[in-house]
Amino acid sequence: MRYLFLGPLAMTVALLQVAAAPYFPLMDATANPLLVLLMCWAMVRGPRETMVLIPLVAMFKDLITNDPVGVSVLALLPVVPLAAVRERHLTQSEFVPTVVVVAVASLCYHLVYMVVLTSLGEDVPWLQSPRGVLLPAALLDAVLTPLFYLPLRWVTTLEESRARLRVVG
Amino acid sequence: MRTIVWLLAAAFLALLTIVLSQKGALDPLRNLALTVVSPLERGVGNAAEPVADLLDRVAERQDLEEENRQLRQQIEELRAEIAGLREQQALSQGLQELLAVQEGRPDDRFLIARVIAKDPSNLKERIAIDRGRDDGVAEGMVVMSAGNSLVGVVSSALDDFAWVTLITDPNSSVNAMVMESRTQGIISGTLHDGLRMELLPQEAEVQPGSTVATSGLGGNFPDALLIGEVVSVQGSPQDIFKKAEVEPTANLSRLENVLVLTSFQPARLDHTP
Repeated sequence: MRYLFLGPLAMTVALLQVAAAPYFPLMDATANPLLVLLMCWAMVRGPRETMVLIPLVAMFKDLITNDPVGVSVLALLPVVPLAAVRERHLTQSEFVPTVVVVAVASLCYHLVYMVVLTSLGEDVPWLQSPRGVLLPAALLDAVLTPLFYLPLRWVTTLEESRARLRVVG
Repeated sequence: MRTIVWLLAAAFLALLTIVLSQKGALDPLRNLALTVVSPLERGVGNAAEPVADLLDRVAERQDLEEENRQLRQQIEELRAEIAGLREQQALSQGLQELLAVQEGRPDDRFLIARVIAKDPSNLKERIAIDRGRDDGVAEGMVVMSAGNSLVGVVSSALDDFAWVTLITDPNSSVNAMVMESRTQGIISGTLHDGLRMELLPQEAEVQPGSTVATSGLGGNFPDALLIGEVVSVQGSPQDIFKKAEVEPTANLSRLENVLVLTSFQPARLDHTP
């Protein structure tokens, strides 16, 4: 049932990313809201649900862009191991680690993406990429985190308290 | 353990689809996906563009008042112009632009295409157009702006759509010439920094403001197709070659309609069996 909600939501975010994100560059980088959504989801609710969605949504995104189909799946895979950070309870707040892992996931995404493009014979500007792509994109994605984290946290907390009430009832 | 198995399976699936898509096996699926999604994509893009413009304006607040005054004046002028143009309503704007370009290139044939999407990647400068193989578009064909300047090259053609690699893409390189001094060089795309003209001989006279156009060398582009204007020239006297930063003439970030040059057969197309 939850996939009926998460699937269309993630596809909508992917479509918005493809259609609208290029119009809002910051420091010449465009945001990756799909990555931010999936990373926040994995941090708040655990990685299991995102494991189902990554192949589906990433393939959908690649089909409507010029990317080789599958490159986004590879680039989004680090989301799953990175979500293990939530189990470590490094800080009292869950939000700060989420912002950090979103930035790290963004770096991983672009690195994997660049490796795949290079291996396919595309000319990738590796030397310019740290200043031109990796850092601005990581920063932009980290800034976007509250937009996805806060509603997800709120919905999840509501769901958990309802479940607890059901148990008590 | 289950996570590791999933990661391996997903990576395998991804690699498999990458190979399949490189071989073109997924092109019908891509075409279908774009057919379904492109109206939505264009709708979202149309909605996003004014918002992005608005944000740009907010960012340039100090210029806003002056710009507003100028825009009001422009609106008045444009309204007057629209009234004058009503008689010519039968012709669409795109056709008029095509006619203007065709007057300049009477021997060439063009296909008007609408830009339906931009590649969201941070590493590519590509656009999608609503014309594909069924309309006669083929990989390697040259794409121009309505203002008769070079936009890029068709890098992949699907049945109903095509992706165009812009001249600012890091993978793009064009044999070019500085019109004033007839100096030849190569124009390459740079990541977010416009164009760079390389391999300019040290003794060549290249000044900021000089016009850069295609040289026609190599046969991949027709000659004398406007590319841009030299912004600055770099290089010390001990260098063999110097470089120039070039500002593209076409507004590549705000393209709405483009022209695919169908009559010119680039040299690379001739190699295809």
